[in-house]
This record gives sequence, structure tokens and C-alpha cells, in this order.
Amino acid sequence: MSDTTHTLAPQMTLAPQLTERLKRYQSIAAFVGLIGLALSAFGYFSGEQQQFLRSYLIGFMLWTGAGLGCLTLTMIQHLTGGNWGIMIRKITEAGSKTLYVMMFLFIPILLGVHTLYEWADPAKVAVDPILKEKSLYLNVPFFYARWAIYTVLWLGLVTFLTRWSQKEDETKDPKWTAKMEFLSGPGILAFVLTLTLASVDWMMSLDPHWFSTIYGFMMGVGNLLTAMACVISALVVLGHYSPLDHLITKKHLHDLGKLMFAFVMLWAYLNFSQLLIIWSGNLPEEIPWYINRLNGGWQWVGLFLLCFHFAFPFFLLLSQGIKKNGTTLRMAAIWIIFVRFVDVVFLVEPSFTKGVFAIHWLDIAAPVGLGGVWVSLFLWNLPKRPILPIGHPDLQKALNHGRDH
Amino acid sequence: MEQPVELASEIKIGPVIDPGLSLAAVSDKISSIVLKRKTTLGWMVGVFIGFILLQGLLTGLTWLLMKGVGVWGLNIPVGWGFAIINFVWWIGIGHAGTLISAILLLLNQSWRNAINRFAEAMTIFAVMCAGIFPIFHTGRPWLAYWLFPYPNTMSMWPQFRSPLLWDVFAVSTYFTISAVFWFIGLVPDFATLRDSAKHRWQAVIYGFLSLGWRGSARHWQRYEKASLLLAGLATPLVVSVHTVVSFDFAVSIVPGWHTTIFPPYFVAGAIYSGFAMVLTLMIPVRSIYSLEGVITMRHINNMAKVTLATGLIVGYGYTMEAFFGWYSANKYEQFMIWNRMTGPYAPFYWALIFCNIITPQFLWSKKIRTNLMAIWIISLIVNVGMWLERFVIVVTSLHRDFLPSSWSMYWPTIWDWAMYIGTIGLFTVLIFLFIRALPMITIFELRMLLPGAKVKEPVAQ
Repeated sequence: MSDTTHTLAPQMTLAPQLTERLKRYQSIAAFVGLIGLALSAFGYFSGEQQQFLRSYLIGFMLWTGAGLGCLTLTMIQHLTGGNWGIMIRKITEAGSKTLYVMMFLFIPILLGVHTLYEWADPAKVAVDPILKEKSLYLNVPFFYARWAIYTVLWLGLVTFLTRWSQKEDETKDPKWTAKMEFLSGPGILAFVLTLTLASVDWMMSLDPHWFSTIYGFMMGVGNLLTAMACVISALVVLGHYSPLDHLITKKHLHDLGKLMFAFVMLWAYLNFSQLLIIWSGNLPEEIPWYINRLNGGWQWVGLFLLCFHFAFPFFLLLSQGIKKNGTTLRMAAIWIIFVRFVDVVFLVEPSFTKGVFAIHWLDIAAPVGLGGVWVSLFLWNLPKRPILPIGHPDLQKALNHGRDH
Repeated sequence: MEQPVELASEIKIGPVIDPGLSLAAVSDKISSIVLKRKTTLGWMVGVFIGFILLQGLLTGLTWLLMKGVGVWGLNIPVGWGFAIINFVWWIGIGHAGTLISAILLLLNQSWRNAINRFAEAMTIFAVMCAGIFPIFHTGRPWLAYWLFPYPNTMSMWPQFRSPLLWDVFAVSTYFTISAVFWFIGLVPDFATLRDSAKHRWQAVIYGFLSLGWRGSARHWQRYEKASLLLAGLATPLVVSVHTVVSFDFAVSIVPGWHTTIFPPYFVAGAIYSGFAMVLTLMIPVRSIYSLEGVITMRHINNMAKVTLATGLIVGYGYTMEAFFGWYSANKYEQFMIWNRMTGPYAPFYWALIFCNIITPQFLWSKKIRTNLMAIWIISLIVNVGMWLERFVIVVTSLHRDFLPSSWSMYWPTIWDWAMYIGTIGLFTVLIFLFIRALPMITIFELRMLLPGAKVKEPVAQ
């Protein structure tokens, strides 16, 4: 180390005020989650089975997406290195551990598969030659089996990456860091392929005739964006207290803000590409998906997404000042979580309402319920491990990022 | 399972620059290639070979202008052949330069400094080669300016809805910004060459090009601001140019062209082929001009990793095409994929899979990534593979269209080959001239990488 860098001895015990605040947030989230889920259950038993399932799917895709995004960010960090990733790795790991519960919250959909998905209804398949042909892939046993495969694979990745990360903390042996890097290469490959299939299974097949080759990318980037927004929101709160209050630099926030900005642009790029290509082709097998989404009131939701999922965060995050200021960056992040919700609604609901704008109260209750569950799991996982990867060989370098010139 | 300890940030790969070099040694090392070194026999032979190939372009163009585009192998149903294949191939190669110079600058990746000048030069030359094809494919290249929307006496406007027109805007903007970026970056180095020139005529030429650069603090401040701005402008161009190129295909309804993954997959493919080309050129240049201390194994390793990553994205694209080809349950889509894999052009498809998907997998191994010969061969194979990719996309989608009675085969004629090989000659000659006349590595940016250039903050007591 040259004399220009400061050796920051990381004291990793969280300030008692912080642990208290996290606990308070966690119980609020759990409370909100229970109320949301109770209301959703009430909706289900009051005869709204199908509506319950689609609203539940919205919540599931949004919040499991946050967990999956956290897993992706963890693996990207192992592969690319970089100071930004070291600062948030423990947070993304905590986020990815929510998948232990989230993956099993898919069970209501598994049970309701016949109500939710057209291709699971034998009467409809019998009269539809396209669905008959697709039933080689879109059939209920295989749908269950694929969910099981995704669960095993993703939870396996989470388990290894978090366990080795703990070993890295304890032993400070770079051997564990190397192992995580080694796993992340093939890991991300398998992950991206399975995530694509999962988005076909769970989302695309809501319109069983429709297909779009960019869809997997779109879902993956949406997940990354949700995860980044959650991580930034958490990091800013953590940054108000010891130990992170004197460890996080403006440069760290700036880098994370830039990454979130990049995901916002990528989201818009992929969505625009899909719209332009399908709109200009105007083929009967593709265009219905957009007809359902650009008519009967849904076009205003689409316009809202264009303005507030893309343009507004874009111009906001263009400013260096906003990215370097924790409070404003966090506000932008929370806004992004909200518009992510709107985007998932836009992906799911029009497939059922068929070109007529309609929102059910369950569309709010179920995502809020699952969100409460996710946030409380996340906050429960967060303080259990050191808040920075204290065994990582590049930690000092990452901490000095933004201090050495 | 015991893994050897290897980290992404591994020191064993070596530093970004040989720390033993001094500031003066760096300036001298690069500028002497231009100023002091005698023109070698190897250089002469290289230019000569390039020049011979270039004659193919001249002959091909002459014959084309005498006879018309009928001398090419085009016919219905394959109305787009070598011209578009080669255009996309060359444009793609250019993308590495912009990525390295603009995006890596914004990402503060200091390793880019040794290779950005070379990669930018490659971009400009590749775009020049690319531009030749569509201009001559119009059939009347002397009227190419009609492509620009300008008020004219014919009251005629180009078709704004056509992605081919967007190509005109995207590519011309791309070329302009790349050239300006490249020239601005050269200005401080022109001044260095001016100051150390041995002959009067060299001093005059480099002095003229250096625009009166004196290296004052104000000059540097403006320079930094200009490069940041140009980097910001060039970044969307990396994505937009190849996105528009992919729209050329995707907005049609031809199976195999009309697919939504095309934009990101074309952009990844462009960066993939571009990095492969940088490696193809850099590895020999580095050893011929003994630049191992400046273009270190760290660079080669990083570029190999980018090649692998973008290659995997391209592979993902092929997988999606095949999977959704079946999943669509659309008989035209299914036939297209089946025809690609088993039809008359199947060898091209499988060669493409071999070149673009199987070959880069070797780059997972660090041993391969630090073996120059192996990387060089892989980079050549990828270059071929990316050409095959465009061939497969263009030809297999067209040659068996919706109407079986019009099915036929496409084979390029000797004039197609003459023009294609001719552009490779043009590219080679330009690269050799560049190496001889301009500093191929940014001298001042390298100096900033040296340990001695780090500004020491006064330690607060």
C-alpha cells in the first residue's frame, strides 16, 4: 500500500440504532405482508380464484425477480470484479437468500395452474391445433418438473455462493473467493438459460400463442433493475449508521447510480426493440399481445411506463448530483421499485382483460403482501453476516475507491 | 475439489503497463516507431500483399460500373447477398473500437489506454470498407446523395420508415464521431511527434496536424472535456448502429429475420467480431514492434474475456432462435430453422456453430487466455464465424421463401469475391499506413498509467 491510501480497519459490528431500525422495518414489513396476504386469501375464498392467481403472479414475479436479480448481481460481481460489487455483495447475497422462501411461494400457482393458464385446460387444447403442438412443452407435469429444476439449480447457486462467502469471511482465505469466481461463470450461463425458460413458463405462456425471442432478456433486465433499486435503498439506510457511515464514499453511490441508470436504459432499449419489430411486422401471431396492451385504456399505462419507467428516471439519473447524494438516489430507487410493479402489471393483466383496462384491488393487495414478505426476509438476512465481504482480497481497494485522488 | 487460487484481479497476469518504463522511455518507444525506425522489409511485404488484394476491389468496382449489379450472384429470391453480408461484417468489426474508446473510458477502465488508438483506427477503416458495399449496391452510386433528406427540385424525400435510411444516418454519424474522436485524441501526440521530429518536413506536417498544441493546462482541461463529451456521444452509437442494422432484417416478415432478439444479439455479435479482430491484429503487431511492456498480457486476457462473454451472448441468440422456432408452432418459422440445420446450406450453419459457439469455449481456460498463439487462432476462427453468421442469416432465410416455386440457390460470382477480398486489401493497406505514419498507441495516456504519474495527495497531519 502506498502512503496515499488509507487503511480502513473495518469494524463490522452494526450500530445498535441500526439493528433496531432494521428490526423495526422488518416487523413493519412482516405486518404489512401478512395483512396483504390475508386480504388476498380473503379475495380467493370470496370466489375470485382466477383474479387472485393473476394478482399473486404479479407479486410473485416482481419480488422473486428482486431475489433473482440479487443472485445475478452477485454472480456478475464475482465475474467482473469492481469496487461497486464488493460494496454491495453482502446485500445482494442477503437478497438472493430470500429465494429460499420465494421459490416455494410459487406453490399456489402450481396448484392453480389449470385456472391461470389456458394451455393447462384440456378442453381448450383439444380444439386448438397450435396448443396441441405446443403441449409437448406446455403441459402440467413438465411445468411442475421445470419449476423443480429451476428451484434446485437456483437455490444450489445461492447456497454455494453464500456459504463460500461465509467461509471467506471466517478464514480470509482467497481460496474461497476463487471458488466463487469459478462457479459464477458456468453458474450465470445455466442461470440465464433457466431464467429464460422460466419467463416463458410463468409469463409468456399466459398468451400461449404468442412468442418473442427477446423476452428472456427483458425479464432478466427487469429483475436486475428491481434488485439494484432494492440494494441501493438498503445501502443508503445502512450508510447513515456505523460502520458504513464512514466507509461509503460518494464515488460508490455514483457508480451504483450509474449502473441503475444503465439498467433503466437497457430496459427501455429491449422494450422498444420488441415493440418496433412486432409493430412493423404486424403478424397475426404476434400483434395481439400489443393490441391487448395498446387499446381500451392500457395504452395510457404503456405511455406511463414510457414516461415514468424510462424518461423520468433517465433524466433524474443523468445528473451526477442526484447519483452522488444518498437521499435523492434512494428516492429514485424507490420510484423505480414502484414502476417495476406497474410494468409487471402491464405484462400480466392485459393478457386476461383482453384490451379493456381493468385493475382489481387484489392486484395491489397480493404484490404488497408478497413485497412485505420479501422485505422482511431480506432485512432478516441482512444483519446476520458482516455487512462487507471482510475476507475479500480487494476490500481495501474498494473501500479506498473515491478517496485516493 | 481443489481449485488453484485464481482471482479476477489476479496480479499474476501482470500489470497494465510495465512499471519499469520511465516517462521518457514511453514517449520514445512509441514515437520512434514512426520517426526513427527504418521502413522494414516486413512492412513493405505486408503493404504489398494488401495492395495486391486491393486491386481486386478496383477491378471488381470497374467491372460493376461497366456492367451493373447483374455481375453479382444476386437474383430473386436472394436479392441481398455479399453486399449486405460484407457490410454487416465490416460494420460489426468496427464496434470494438468505439466500445474500447468510449464505453471503457466512461467506465474508468484504464487498461483501455494502450489499445484505444489502434482500435479506433480499425473502426474508421472498417466503416470505410463497409460503406463501399451499400453505396454501390444502390446501382447508381453517383446519386447516393439522394439518400439524404434535403429539399430538392424533384420534391422527393427518402422513405423515413425504412431502416435502410436509418442506416444512412446511423453509419454516417458513427463515422463522423469516430473520426473526430480519433483525431482529437491524436492532437497531443502529434505535438510530441512534432517536437521530436528529425526532419523539417516531418515537423511541419505533424505541427500542422497538432493544431498549435502547446500542452498548457488550459489545453489539457479543454481536451479532457472534449473527450468526455465525445465519449458520451459515441456510446449510444455503439448500440444504435448495429441495432439499426438488425432492424434492416427484423422489421421485415421473413422468417429468420423477423425476430425480436435481433437488436441485442447483433450488438453483442458486433462487439464479439470487433474484439476478435483487435486480437487478430494486436498480437502480431505487439511482437513485431516489441510492445510487450505496453500491451501486456493483462490486455490480451481482458480482451479474450470480453470475446468469450459476447460470444456467449451470441450463442444465447442462436439458442433462442432455435427454441422459439419450434415453440412458435408456426410452420414457416419451423421450416426456416429446419432448413438452416439440414438444408443445402447446412454445412455453413454447422461451421458457424463450430466457429462461434464451440471455439470460444476454450477461452474459459486461463492457460489458453495467456497463450498468444491459441488466442490468435481462436480470433481468426471467430472472424470467419461472424462472416458465416451473416451469410447464414441473409441467404438461408431468402433462398427458400414462402413460395416454393421460386426457391433457388445463391452462389457468389468471382466479382463478389473480388470486391470482398479487395476490401480486406484496403483494410490491410490502411492499417499498415497507420502503423507507419501515426503513433499507434496513445503516448500521453500511457504516461499517465505509469506509477510515477500518480498525483500524491498531501497527507493531512
